[in-house]
Amino acid sequence: MDASLFRPVSEPWTPVSPALATRRRLVLAAPLAVLGVVAATAAALGPAAGVPRGWVVLLVAAAVVLLGAAAGLWWWAERNRRSWGWAESEDDLLVTSGVMFRRLVVVPYGRVQFVDVEAGPVERRLGITRVTLHTASTETAAQVPGVPADEARRLRDRLTDLGRTHDAGV
Amino acid sequence: MPASEPGGAPAASAELRAGRRTHPLTGVVQGGLWAGAAVVGLGASFLQGDRWEGVPWWVAVLAVVGGGLVVGELAGLVSWWFTRFVVDDEELRIDSGVLTRRSRRAAFERIQSVDVAEPLLARVVGLAEVRVDLAGGDESRLVVRFLPLAEAREVRRLLLRRAHGAQGDGTEDALPDHDGGELITRVPPERTLLGALLSLDLLAAVAALVAILLAALGFGAPLVVLGGVLPALSWAAQVVARRVVAEWGFVLWRTPHGLRIERGLLSLTAQTIPYARVQGVAVVEPVLWRRLGWCRLEVDVAGRAGSDDGDLDTTLLPIADRALAAALVAELVQDGGPDDEPVTVRASRRSWPFAPVGWRFRSLSLGRRRASSTTGWLHRRTSHAPHAKVQSFALRQGPLQRLRDLATVELHTPDGPVDVDVHHVDAARAREVVLHAVDAARDERAQTVVGASAPAGGVLGGGVDGTGELP
Repeated sequence: MDASLFRPVSEPWTPVSPALATRRRLVLAAPLAVLGVVAATAAALGPAAGVPRGWVVLLVAAAVVLLGAAAGLWWWAERNRRSWGWAESEDDLLVTSGVMFRRLVVVPYGRVQFVDVEAGPVERRLGITRVTLHTASTETAAQVPGVPADEARRLRDRLTDLGRTHDAGV
Repeated sequence: MPASEPGGAPAASAELRAGRRTHPLTGVVQGGLWAGAAVVGLGASFLQGDRWEGVPWWVAVLAVVGGGLVVGELAGLVSWWFTRFVVDDEELRIDSGVLTRRSRRAAFERIQSVDVAEPLLARVVGLAEVRVDLAGGDESRLVVRFLPLAEAREVRRLLLRRAHGAQGDGTEDALPDHDGGELITRVPPERTLLGALLSLDLLAAVAALVAILLAALGFGAPLVVLGGVLPALSWAAQVVARRVVAEWGFVLWRTPHGLRIERGLLSLTAQTIPYARVQGVAVVEPVLWRRLGWCRLEVDVAGRAGSDDGDLDTTLLPIADRALAAALVAELVQDGGPDDEPVTVRASRRSWPFAPVGWRFRSLSLGRRRASSTTGWLHRRTSHAPHAKVQSFALRQGPLQRLRDLATVELHTPDGPVDVDVHHVDAARAREVVLHAVDAARDERAQTVVGASAPAGGVLGGGVDGTGELP
């Protein structure tokens, strides 16, 4: 099945910043990799230091799992990052995401109650932010991670403006 | 009590402005509630074996009950003494707390609705509480407890009038001077009872009971019966009792202001649902009710989600027959008229592995003015939401759905019982339907904005949308 089902209709498509993949690799994959390396080192040095055989086997297993998970996340981060995107049509904001679990969310500007722009320390370093649209429904899952900071500011102002002019009340 | 102050700007009395205490019996009632809790707590610890050596049991019981009462009542009186509520030009404010003062405010323009309720213990001494629902925020309900019933109604009227003034839609005339209106229906007690007895929850409890009995007989262990049957029985009793107590004497009125509900056996609750705040309606038909032609109506009301009564607060009518249900649905969520040709999509035959029977009953239909979805095989639920009030749209597909080329369409409404979704429809068709829904909603919103000069009544929906003139 091709991904065209989840593309916007005709609007230009804005991808999220590649820094999102970097951020996820730093936050998710890197710690696992470090732990994996530690486990591997311990397993390598273990027999010399007289660690029982059972422990060494365990350490090797742990190292394999951790490094495997880190590699998996490393690969997933870029693949998932590429699936994210948003588009601003005349009346709605469209957000699409996901490789395994795909979705396309359409939020009319008039329904946006407020817009959150958040950035953690790592994100700030990388110059990206998370933009979340809130409507009167909590089901609305319109969060876009990895929006470049100045773009996020522009998007927030634009959405707030559009929300005001399109406002249809609740 | 005078019903209203004709003409002129409504002014809070000087007493209210300065802040006043609630009725002196508040302390006693609140204390009574706390005393009950204290007695239960102490009693539980007593039963669990914290016996006092050498003290006869009746002394211990007396001490527990007496101590609980004294402590509870004292706490209640102290808390009453330090609590004041204020209605001034901008807001309703409740100041409370002995050591740490706490001030809760409700700006008039944030007020969504004001209802008067009579919890059991308060009702016994003729008191009532005023519940104020606010828009948004975490703590979105303020309760003034307790006032004499007539005074509570007076405060409600004052707050409503202020809320309208603050929202500047100049519809003070549209405010109800009385709490009545035109009677729509009254649910007879025997129907409430029968309805609860035939509900699916109870059936589940009975099924559990039968299963336990059979298992016990099979294993020949009578003790197991006792251990399993008692909880099952008490659960069943609770299910029925909760419904019956809350929905006893259910009356639905039509007022210029909105639909008005009165219900309750022990505690009386009255609430008004302004037309403009209805975000969607669901018709629920449990399997046994269908035979009798009964259904339950539930509503999504903006700002009502997350209150303490749970699903009872969103029930519009616990038992209705089909004709009445259809009429109410049509009144609250207009359909597109007789020449409307809804776009309908059903769950695909390919989705049978996900719901072997249920897939036949899933559908979504987009009319000119509203979207409706049906789901459920035993517990059929039909949800309607006006296009103009849908908050957002989603098209989703998981890996298993992708294998079978299916997708899910969701129309998001504010939190509540109404969910206009359809799962597992053909993927390409699902995309068409979502885009169609987005278009329909855009058109409807444009209409609403144009027509909004005859205001949709601010947040309170002052009945100026013509619904007041309904026959």
